[in-house]
Amino acid sequence: MKIVACYSNKGGVGKTAASVNLAYAFAEAGNRVLLCDLDPQGAASFYFRVKPSQKLQNEAFFEESKQVAKAIRGSDYENLDILPANMTFRDFDIFLSRMKNSRSRLKKAMKAVGADYDIIVLDCPPNISTLSESVLQAADLIVVPVIPTTLSERTFEQLLEFVEGQDALKVSKKQIAAFFSMVQRQKALHGETMTRMREAYPKRMLDAVLPFATDVERMGVNRAPLLAFAPDRPSAKAYRDVFRELQQRLNKD
Amino acid sequence: MKQPQRSIMVLTGDLPDADLTTGIEPLRLEVRSDGDTAAFEVLDTHVGSVRQADQLLLRSGKRLTVLSGGDHVASQDALPKHRFVDDLDDGPVKSALQHAPRLRSLLSTGAGTISHRDIWVRDDDDKTLARARLTTLSPEGDGQAITITDLQPLRGYDKAMDWLRAHLAAVAENAPTGASNLADMLFPDQPRYDAKPDVAITADDTAWHTANRIIAAYLRVARLNETGIIADHDTEFLHDYRVALRKVRSVLSLFKGAYSDDATAAFKGAASELMAPTGRLRDLDVYLLAQDDYFAMLPETLHDGLELMFGMFRKERRKAHRSLSARLASDDYDNMIRAFQAAVEDPDRAGQGPEAHVGIGDFGSRLIWKRYRKVCRLARTITADTPDEQVHELRILCKKLRYLMEFFAPLYPASAVKPVLKPLKRLQDNLGLFNDYSVQQAFLQDFLDRHEPLGHKRDLALAQSIGALIAVLHERQKEERARIMTSFSKFDGPEIRSRFGSLFHDKET
Ligand SMILES: Nc1ncnc2c1ncn2[C@@H]1O[C@H](COP(=O)(O)OP(=O)(O)OP(=O)(O)O)[C@@H](O)[C@H]1O
Ligand SMILES: [Mg+2]
Repeated sequence: MKIVACYSNKGGVGKTAASVNLAYAFAEAGNRVLLCDLDPQGAASFYFRVKPSQKLQNEAFFEESKQVAKAIRGSDYENLDILPANMTFRDFDIFLSRMKNSRSRLKKAMKAVGADYDIIVLDCPPNISTLSESVLQAADLIVVPVIPTTLSERTFEQLLEFVEGQDALKVSKKQIAAFFSMVQRQKALHGETMTRMREAYPKRMLDAVLPFATDVERMGVNRAPLLAFAPDRPSAKAYRDVFRELQQRLNKD
Repeated sequence: MKQPQRSIMVLTGDLPDADLTTGIEPLRLEVRSDGDTAAFEVLDTHVGSVRQADQLLLRSGKRLTVLSGGDHVASQDALPKHRFVDDLDDGPVKSALQHAPRLRSLLSTGAGTISHRDIWVRDDDDKTLARARLTTLSPEGDGQAITITDLQPLRGYDKAMDWLRAHLAAVAENAPTGASNLADMLFPDQPRYDAKPDVAITADDTAWHTANRIIAAYLRVARLNETGIIADHDTEFLHDYRVALRKVRSVLSLFKGAYSDDATAAFKGAASELMAPTGRLRDLDVYLLAQDDYFAMLPETLHDGLELMFGMFRKERRKAHRSLSARLASDDYDNMIRAFQAAVEDPDRAGQGPEAHVGIGDFGSRLIWKRYRKVCRLARTITADTPDEQVHELRILCKKLRYLMEFFAPLYPASAVKPVLKPLKRLQDNLGLFNDYSVQQAFLQDFLDRHEPLGHKRDLALAQSIGALIAVLHERQKEERARIMTSFSKFDGPEIRSRFGSLFHDKET
């Protein structure tokens, strides 16, 4: 079982869109996949038409792995299940910070469910907090969408600083796989930023580039992964490229 | 908690779309048909092995599917030339059919069309909550359609699955059903074959009526094998045909005095006339079936001769089959066996013997008791030195005793007959093998003496191999003979003796 976290310290960069489509791609390739919607907004659950889970409480999530298992819902797609967003996740951070050894708890909860799955994809909410530490601790691979702007470049540096500062987490640099998201070719700034960042972080930046595309936005109307309703569109192909690179990295260890 | 498992539910009727989509609010239900219908056949052996194992076996195109016990489905591909279970590639269907007799081929017992539909149960957000795949078998003829539902639950939506299961069952014509009666539902007029039909016998019935009824029953059994012999489905058709005729013959010789001498002689003549043309083909079947054993008996250096021999057997078998088939399909044959059937089925005809009106209860006990004592008398004289002829004699006596006990078995409590039949069967097994080895030696010697010449070198190879085979068979016959005396002493024990006495003798006195 491998845990892949879609994570960023910045909002609205395409984490959820990536989680949904990458989870789909992993499942399509024959892996048994669980997509965990850790964001209280429940966007990932919404895309799969899964209603938010009412029953699941923070307490339950970390103490009772059985409770987690009960909240899981089958998606409409083969091999792909969803752990829907829980409204009380809003208090996640407070809850976690109150707990001792909180960082390893998420990992424990995931492991308990993990026997049923080959891949667990986490769609994370957009803020650095105790939950983030838990996520970084639990994940085998941290996937970071980066919009190639000067501002994002800064945030990415902060993210790395944060990660490197978390010595105890033993997050090696290899575990971070970033890809450029919402790229607009006609914008010179995007091109320049991408070149600069590839030079600065040659190992962390994936080759695949996700273009800015209205197809991705149509997921909100269709309430389905892009790979399911428009598998041949350029942005769908780009998600598949990202998936292939991630798969390679996962297979390496 | 685990991923939910798919499950199978078998329902009667074709579950029309309109019924499936009625009364489902607030849920939504989509039915999608993949359009094509294809032909299907139900397969089983002539003796109904699949049905009796609570299974239904289907072939549609290349695909073979077995439904076991009403809730388990397995599929694998098969070619039309795969007629026996052993012919199939290793796979789940082959494993599920391991119980079927090896020598029985899988035959079509009915046909129809097969169609598939998928259904989805959805909520107000159009989220799928449960799925099922329906496979509907619509039989040709007057049978009832069957729908096999493959229920595919989604994790976390147990209630929806429960709802779907109940909904499908409510739409169906009948409650969920197992696999054993499905073939009958699909094809209600399909005749059932039973090589050992129950012939109702009551103690106060007369010998005349009973003999008539048993003969009629076994002539019917014989006839149910005719088309299978002609089509050459498998060797068991001819085997059963011959066993049935042998039973007919044994009634004629065992029910002494039930028929007049003339009638007995006439019927015996008819039975022999039916039997005679089948012998050669059966012999060749037996040798060809045992081909692997024969090769195993001899070292490889002698295999060339065996190849030649079996090649000649195959060729001769084709000829023998052609000629028997022609005979069975002829008017001459049809008229003759019909006349035989009509005769035994007419109770008012002439030909009653002196014992015709004796009550069958006394008649049977008397015959069994007499025959039993005869078996014991002869068997007790057999030592290591008695000539083989006497052993053969014993075999025939035992066989007659066995037939008698089987014919009259309905008159006695099964629990009392079983313990005496068991040691008798064991003794008969020994005697049977002893006889087989001796018959085989004679057959092979005869074949060697009379085969058409193949040229010096090949004749020599053939002679060497057959000579070696005869030597092996001779050795085996000797070993088998040594076992016969032990088997008999078990059969002749005080317990069996007293059981025979109380069952078949005390009654009379
Ligand atoms: N490649 C893209 N091209 C165009 N629009 C995109 C693309 N990726 C995501 N979007 C859109 O941008 C918005 C934000 O995307 P998404 O929800 O995936 O980001 P996020 O990082 O999960 O946001 P949050 O931090 O709020 O969880 C959504 O409306 C989505 O449809
Ligand atoms: Mg999001």
